[in-house]
Amino acid sequence: MNVGNILLRSLRSPATSLLLLPVIALMFFVVVGKPPFKTLFDMAIFAFGGGYAISETLVKATPIIFCALAVAIPARLGLISVGADGQLYLGAIVGTGVALQIAGLPAAAAIPICILAGALGGALWAGIPAVLKVKLGANETITTLLLNYVGVLCVDFLVYGPWKDPTNLGWPATASFAEETVPPHLFGTRAHIGLLIALGASIVLHFLMGRSRWGLTLRFLRDNQRLGEIVGIGYVRQVILVMCIGGALAGVAGWCEASAVQGRLQSGLSLGYGLTGFLVAWLARQNMLAIIPISILIGGLLSSADSLQMFAKLPAVSVVILQALLFIAALGMMGLAARFEEVGHNRGRS
Amino acid sequence: MIEFDAAMAAFIASSLRSASPLLLVLLGECLSQRTGVINLGIEGEMLMGAVIGFIVAAETGNPWVGIGAGAVAGMALSFVHSALCLGCRANQIGSGLAVMLLGIGLSTYIGRPYVGSAIDGLGSVDPGLFGVIPILGDVLGRITPTVVLAVALVPIVAIFLARTRTGLIWRAVGESTEIVTALGFNATRTRFVAISVGGILAGIGGAALSVDYTLTWAQEMTKGRGLIAVGLVIIARWRPSLTLPAALLFGGFEALGLRIQAGGSNISPYLLSMMPYLASLIVVAIAYRAAISGGGMPMALREVFRQAQ
Repeated sequence: MNVGNILLRSLRSPATSLLLLPVIALMFFVVVGKPPFKTLFDMAIFAFGGGYAISETLVKATPIIFCALAVAIPARLGLISVGADGQLYLGAIVGTGVALQIAGLPAAAAIPICILAGALGGALWAGIPAVLKVKLGANETITTLLLNYVGVLCVDFLVYGPWKDPTNLGWPATASFAEETVPPHLFGTRAHIGLLIALGASIVLHFLMGRSRWGLTLRFLRDNQRLGEIVGIGYVRQVILVMCIGGALAGVAGWCEASAVQGRLQSGLSLGYGLTGFLVAWLARQNMLAIIPISILIGGLLSSADSLQMFAKLPAVSVVILQALLFIAALGMMGLAARFEEVGHNRGRS
Repeated sequence: MIEFDAAMAAFIASSLRSASPLLLVLLGECLSQRTGVINLGIEGEMLMGAVIGFIVAAETGNPWVGIGAGAVAGMALSFVHSALCLGCRANQIGSGLAVMLLGIGLSTYIGRPYVGSAIDGLGSVDPGLFGVIPILGDVLGRITPTVVLAVALVPIVAIFLARTRTGLIWRAVGESTEIVTALGFNATRTRFVAISVGGILAGIGGAALSVDYTLTWAQEMTKGRGLIAVGLVIIARWRPSLTLPAALLFGGFEALGLRIQAGGSNISPYLLSMMPYLASLIVVAIAYRAAISGGGMPMALREVFRQAQ
């Protein structure tokens, strides 16, 4: 392996995207006429400087990890799902519905029941495109994108309508959740148990994908559906399985976001976590462990949006632009690296 | 009877008005998909067209200049998709979503000072001699120039693809890069032009939405119309002539929802807003397989789909 190959490989590795972000941010600050190094430094301090900053970054990173997993798991079977946002909203709805019913149960029972309800909501929502895929052949990318909009409107319908708490004086939200239903917070911060579930899920899935028979099955079916059918591995079952597992995780994110972070169900639940999760899953090249550090980095970016507004007088949406530029740069680099590798191979052959 | 005719004309006109931004985007996506490129980024291109179109219309006081500026903005953002897909050979789905995110971010950033401000728009078309025809005359009196533009573009795009030399090359590029290259044409350049024209149409569609339909700017106001277009192009079997009924499906349900709301019904407006998405979803679910296996699919797209599998 020569230097060129090593360079190409590093261009394609998930770690490179971590290094790209500061470079892109510096260029962006220059373009919008802010002192680049000072602004970046302020952002970094706001995102990672000290216990409170880190806990807030982890609050933002938690739904991103869940949503990235919701993209990466179906991707192992070759499915491109962009539906994490809708699954997140439905998880929040079902979690809320159950939480409002079971008031009075002890926390030891209520907390896990509500988390499972969130998972169920997300799984059911993800099951729709899965069934449409296997029964009718409908492309999952398009159906999941459409269902996102329906999911957002479902929450709007509920919080402006039947679930609206009259004591809110017109504010569209449910009543605050009973304390015994809300997932516990960690060390007195806003970070919550969802973070631990997300980290646990990433690690378990990493080993399942790499070591288990199931992981091999998915890889097998991804490369050759028909051969899979011949040796008796059901593609249909696996499509539904990967979509529902992914949806369940996004659903847990939704319930945790509504309960542990916001305290009640209200519209505008997700800060585009679904699309961000998609971005993270691709930057991580669908590697379940690589998702964790990249999610924390992007979580830091999102939580430093306020510092941009305060110190640099830049609108918070700047972080969306930075995310998009990071994604564009990483996609371009991955594409170019693959192209050069191909050229290299061909030259070696001739 | 006259009352019924008037109500009918009003409903047709409002369906057309709601459908025409989507129709413009659909035609653009149809052209780029015919050359073998899927572009989810048109959602972002549409937003850029909407925000730049609105700002320029508000500042110059001339809606037409705004629509022209929207076209340029849509095309400018489409260059990013071209650079990624054609230049870097990045995955088209990933690239499209990146462009969409960039469009969401940029349009929100640029449009902040204009949220909630309003403009006059283009006004209604003068039906002229057609005004005497029942229903049609009434419909014409209620629609705006961008509706006429969008509907008129349908046969123009259809004839361009089916009957012109350039259209033939575009369709050939969508079928086989190898053959077209062997014949001495540049497939990459053709795709670049098609993506750019798609960007122009998406930009006009977005500007039509803000400058001529809602007469205001709100962040993420396209609400997935670009993404819906990507799905509906497939259901329209990549035929420009079928993009009109596809757009009317969405527009009709949106107009119906607004009508029910205006009629004083107590059905939640959020449930009514779901109708166009659910209708699109149902149509995609039912017609997808037949559309894919119907033989109209450009071969180069088949490769994109296989890559995605």
